[in-house]
Amino acid sequence: MTSSVDRPAAPAPQATSAPGTRPAPGTSATPAPTAPTVPDTQATPAVPGAEGTTPTDPAAVLAELYRAGDLAREYPRVRDLLAELPDDQLERAGRLLDRVGVDAVLAAHPDTPVVPVVITGHGTVAPLVPLLTAQLARHGLLLRARVGDFGGYLDEFAGADGTELVLALLDAQLVFDQVPLPWRPEDVARTFAARIDLIERLLTGSTAPVVLNTIVLPRTFPAQLVDHRSRAALGAVWREANARLLRLPQRHPSVVVLDLDPWAADGIGVHDARLSVYARAHLSPALLHAYARDVAHLARARAGGTRKVLALDLDDTVWGGVLGEVGPDGVQVAETHRGEAFRAFQRVVKQLGAQGVLVAAVSKNDPEPVRATLRDHPDMTLREDDFVRVIANWRPKHENLRDLATDLNLGLDSVVFVDDNPFERGLVRRELPPVAVVAVDDDPAGHVGRLLADGWFDTLALTAEDRERPQRYREDGERRDFLHSFDSLHDYLAELGVRVRLSVPTEAEVPRVSQLTLRTNQFNLTARRLSPAEVATLLDDPASTVLAVRSGDRFGDNGLVGAVFLRRVDDVLHIDNFLLSCRVFSRGVETATLAEVLRHARETDAAAVTAEYRPTARNAKVAEFYPRNGFARLDGSRFRHDLTDIPPPPEHVELTGSWPPGGQP
Amino acid sequence: MSTLRTVDDFVTLIRDELGLPVAVADLDSSLDVVAGWDSVHLLTLCTALERATGRPVSLPDVLAADSLAGIYAAAVGR
Repeated sequence: MTSSVDRPAAPAPQATSAPGTRPAPGTSATPAPTAPTVPDTQATPAVPGAEGTTPTDPAAVLAELYRAGDLAREYPRVRDLLAELPDDQLERAGRLLDRVGVDAVLAAHPDTPVVPVVITGHGTVAPLVPLLTAQLARHGLLLRARVGDFGGYLDEFAGADGTELVLALLDAQLVFDQVPLPWRPEDVARTFAARIDLIERLLTGSTAPVVLNTIVLPRTFPAQLVDHRSRAALGAVWREANARLLRLPQRHPSVVVLDLDPWAADGIGVHDARLSVYARAHLSPALLHAYARDVAHLARARAGGTRKVLALDLDDTVWGGVLGEVGPDGVQVAETHRGEAFRAFQRVVKQLGAQGVLVAAVSKNDPEPVRATLRDHPDMTLREDDFVRVIANWRPKHENLRDLATDLNLGLDSVVFVDDNPFERGLVRRELPPVAVVAVDDDPAGHVGRLLADGWFDTLALTAEDRERPQRYREDGERRDFLHSFDSLHDYLAELGVRVRLSVPTEAEVPRVSQLTLRTNQFNLTARRLSPAEVATLLDDPASTVLAVRSGDRFGDNGLVGAVFLRRVDDVLHIDNFLLSCRVFSRGVETATLAEVLRHARETDAAAVTAEYRPTARNAKVAEFYPRNGFARLDGSRFRHDLTDIPPPPEHVELTGSWPPGGQP
Repeated sequence: MSTLRTVDDFVTLIRDELGLPVAVADLDSSLDVVAGWDSVHLLTLCTALERATGRPVSLPDVLAADSLAGIYAAAVGR
């Protein structure tokens, strides 16, 4: 069966889950009891040529596009239309998009990124499809779903070839269908352990990306045990088994385990008795939706869509009150009810900043009072040093955000913007569509939930570079001031003291190399994304060479900023990909690295070096990288260097490193 | 307070919720021949019917229905 439920064991509704009785995943972290209304409709352009009768409610616009047969053609608008829809409307939108189909969208917009997924599980999993379609569409990603056979998840694991993300939905019936009757906690422990053993055996040796989840224990099971000691024992063995699931990625790096307990803790019902009994759908629609949300964030991270910059409005977003009216001493950041809510928000921002998110302030204020407040207010959690840039002026925010992205050498699609003012949000949405806009409102207790709801900064694994990133961007600011003191770029580079070190990545560096392939969008010649497991596989392949590029200068160490993937086929060395962090562009790091690769090719008797440039929406600035460095163009996107004339590395760059070891990698 | 009073409401609901281009004339057809029908739609439709009628729908009755008219009858209790 593909995407259908067997009739005899078919579906069931959720009588108890009428709208409003269950918090939607997107809003559940937000204490505000109401689902988000449909704010910022002014940011949604009306359907052209239909003024007067055109709906402005995004759900209605979407339905109208569907009815008119225009949804595939207008697909680029879908991301914004879905941005703030409540969950029930998102599900409906997902069904309409599924009816249109991935191929129709691709026919109209061939460059839309596609996420191939196989969905498998113990029970009925097809209802996940429209939810996942909608959640991926919110991030500009198209779902191509295949629904595995009923109960066939084991086959899907074994058959996975790495091209599809394998979603293996685990539910409590996976365990309890195998438990004898009557049962005791130790039977459950044994059965659960046997299930995980089986999963582990299938994972061994596989590099396919598999998504598992913790299993929330519905109350109907502990409640069948009449004594408290047994109930506690069941709770303990269940959590131990979940903990074992959560530790699987330590030994199986291509596995991701989504922890669903926090969704349950936020009030999402995990179990719907009628659906479970009549339709074998053992996870409630609301939990499936939360799961879809998490999977979409994961897919976005895998596709290189992790955001890097958190740009914050200040008045009534970071602190309570309007600075220009109440003065530095009057803003609320502690002590009062509202002040404590802003403090909580600031603590979360600081926590994100410590993990590599670049926090910036973009505020309509005079600059001096802003600096004084950040510097001198006794109760402020966030200080000037927590921001990579503080922009306070009276220009429109979209102009400031555009300059901020240019200044940080990042694309606008790296930026998340948070503001309590609907006007500012609407303007930024309209002027800068790639920016993710997060709406907070006049109740600061909800700010944390709104900021975290869409996992904008979720990444597969955090590296040492991540933690140091904000400091490095601050150093970039100092570098720029240094640059301005020179008459020419040449003088500047000569004084900068750039060091480049090439080496084969150590095991500990593998996650960072993988992350560079995932995060780097501009200086990424082929945009081939690699998981840590795939990088490790390349390192073990004798025909393949992976190079880590580290750089530094007089202002500090830049860290592991680049990677080169080489493949030797007979006497030709092929550059599979060449990546460099946007922080270190145009300092000679890339030229020095390429010169070293060419020199190495000649020393190992290669006849030529070949390379490829695969255009994406973001890497146009490196389209001429190879021809500029002496490669001849074979055809539109393939290049060849015959190694007769190898340019020396730039004079101002000092090359060091452990590659090639003894001259022969 | 039900927003589902007539078969026309029911047809509208199917079109809005499922995006299926059904008409009143399709109601008596077997589900097997309804264009675009998938058994997963039963699940969606049950949820939507409960929301529209404001009361629970008997799931086993809906599952036993072999036409859209049969689903409607199960939902409105006729």
